[in-house]
Amino acid sequence: MNVDSDNRPEATHDSQTDLQLVRKVQHGDRGAFDLLVIKYQARVASIIGRYLNDHQDVRDLTQETFIKAFRAIDRFRGDSAFYTWIYRIAVNTAKNHLEFSGRRPQATADVQDAENFDTGGRLRSQDSPERLLQRDQVQSALQDAIGALPEELRSAFLLREYDGLSYEEIAQILECPIGTVRSRIFRARDAVERQLGPILDAH
Amino acid sequence: MDDRLRETLSAMMDDEADELAVRRLLASPERDQVSTQWQRWQRLRDLMHDNASGAGAAVDVSRAVRRQLSGASPADSASEAVEQQGPLRPRWRWSATALVALSVLIGFGMGAGWDAANVEQVTRAAAAPTPGHPSRQEVPQVALQGLDHQQWETLSRYLLEHAQHNSVGAGRGAVGYARLASVSGHGQ
Repeated sequence: MNVDSDNRPEATHDSQTDLQLVRKVQHGDRGAFDLLVIKYQARVASIIGRYLNDHQDVRDLTQETFIKAFRAIDRFRGDSAFYTWIYRIAVNTAKNHLEFSGRRPQATADVQDAENFDTGGRLRSQDSPERLLQRDQVQSALQDAIGALPEELRSAFLLREYDGLSYEEIAQILECPIGTVRSRIFRARDAVERQLGPILDAH
Repeated sequence: MDDRLRETLSAMMDDEADELAVRRLLASPERDQVSTQWQRWQRLRDLMHDNASGAGAAVDVSRAVRRQLSGASPADSASEAVEQQGPLRPRWRWSATALVALSVLIGFGMGAGWDAANVEQVTRAAAAPTPGHPSRQEVPQVALQGLDHQQWETLSRYLLEHAQHNSVGAGRGAVGYARLASVSGHGQ
């Protein structure tokens, strides 16, 4: 597992936002489910991609995973994190697909992997040289955008994104109110997003 | 979407938004903009954590899932997911499957139910009195009952010719033709 994924915000603990969104879905708000799909689709596709090589199959099963999740969401009680729950559905969906089509998985991922899931790993090693070059360029543009941020925005943003600290912890480190941290992170995120613009559109 | 809502969305990214703020955001009439902004920030996070590669990077099923949940057929949603990204699968595959299935059904349907015994059973059942529906009794009497031998032969010949033309012309009625020919053979 790489270091980044260890510190990825919300990677290893129950997400309050997820629970809030799930509760809204359970009360009939489909738009809230849309946000959950957007948030997790790349990671769900990655875990399904551990079982299947075909991108169209990965896409179809990712969609199927979310449809199943939506239909079963009333049964989600919050005993586990939402991402663990949806990864379990994804793994079972992929396994069922392979079983139905009489194939063996080209690689394996178990439900337990969801707890410590690294979306890169094995898949990254299959990237083409062009893809690797493109990723280097994107990373370079990202570092430039972050480097161009004013110091107080950059500090708050990096402490959040790379160190996974809470707003309260960041406020203590930077000796400022939580509201200020919240505002700085928002402005930093907004500025980096604008700077990257077309690159984000392409991904 | 105003900055206050965007700041709330940013806090949601960090799991730091309170319940009321989330409710306010989700009640916003600018839901499309909320989704778009959310998606862009999620992509940014994926880039920052170097997770924007591999199988998951190119997948966007959100629109397809939204459509499917809003009542569109799964086939529509699947084709939309295909349109959004990547290589296409041949769309004619399902059309061809449906056409073959339809052909088999037509062939079977033409062959089924033409057995003389079946005709008798059907006419008898239809002619049986149905309480409360007296008008139903009259229909079968007009249809096939009371045909003499010559009329029955004429009808059989006509049906046989029709099935033969159909099987030659369209190539889909061969089963019906075979069944009908065998029935006609029994009748003679």
